[in-house]
Amino acid sequence: MLLLPFLEWCEGLAMSQAYRESLWLFAATQSLHLVAVTTFVGAISIVDLRLLGWGPVRQPRARLARSAQRILLWAGLAVLATGIPQFTVNALSYSRSPVFVFKMCLLAAALVFTATLRRRVAVADEGRLPSWVPRTVGAVSLALWMGVTITGRLITFYG
Amino acid sequence: MPSVVPALEWLEALAWTTAIRESTWGYPLVETAHVASIVAFAGLVIMMDLRLVGLAFTDAPPMQIQRRLFPWQMAGLALSTATGLLLCCVDPLRYYGNVFFRVKLVLLALAGVNAAAFHLTTYRRAERWEDDPQITATARLAAGVSLVLWSAIIVSGRFIAFNWFD
Repeated sequence: MLLLPFLEWCEGLAMSQAYRESLWLFAATQSLHLVAVTTFVGAISIVDLRLLGWGPVRQPRARLARSAQRILLWAGLAVLATGIPQFTVNALSYSRSPVFVFKMCLLAAALVFTATLRRRVAVADEGRLPSWVPRTVGAVSLALWMGVTITGRLITFYG
Repeated sequence: MPSVVPALEWLEALAWTTAIRESTWGYPLVETAHVASIVAFAGLVIMMDLRLVGLAFTDAPPMQIQRRLFPWQMAGLALSTATGLLLCCVDPLRYYGNVFFRVKLVLLALAGVNAAAFHLTTYRRAERWEDDPQITATARLAAGVSLVLWSAIIVSGRFIAFNWFD
């Protein structure tokens, strides 16, 4: 299997070693990950609330979504930068954790949904779509991203 | 000065706090709900702060955004406060002795004072912002302080789990 050499390579990285030897590096990375996740989910939920018809409704959907996209990009990069080292340090045990694997599947689904359907609906002409379409997309998006957040927290408990 | 420790010991020994503390699901469930509601609450607060400091949603009047976010922010705050208090009741002595918990409480108090000062002064005059896209310097300052404080609250909250100094 190709996966095992990759996981071992991850754990052997100099960065992973540094994390294992430091008391505070892992803790600091996890905390910043949480701040980045909060910002990311904030930028997701302000648009999802708008899609649901509950957010800033006097703002055109497309304009709100485009402005939120910049935050998503920067916060997303910060989430990755703080998430990857957490994985490489514990690559072997994480790959065996059902909660971690489930989180990654949910994350993949959320990313695909956000980059395709949600994006098209958010920037579409507001008169063109029946109101149940943006409402459903907003609800699914919120559920997916809160699901990713919640399963992320659960890794520590049931990893 | 009388110590609060006996009261916390009494709280910890109660049947229902003991039951939650010792159950397999109780504690992780409450803790996870606490984290999820903070992410929902602080995420929307950060969006408003980014608008006020001028980093995002700059083509929308701040009041149009904040009025619609406010009920959701308050719902998230209510849920995170309720779950946070519950966690304190379940494991009071551990939190009482934890330095990061104490730091978090101080930061929460500061964030509360900052938010209250903003709502009672600048926010009250917010009607004029709609005509004037230039946001007052005070609002910008309050939003910057809020961004720093809420980030620090999240960090110190996460650090409670690392009981290095207990």
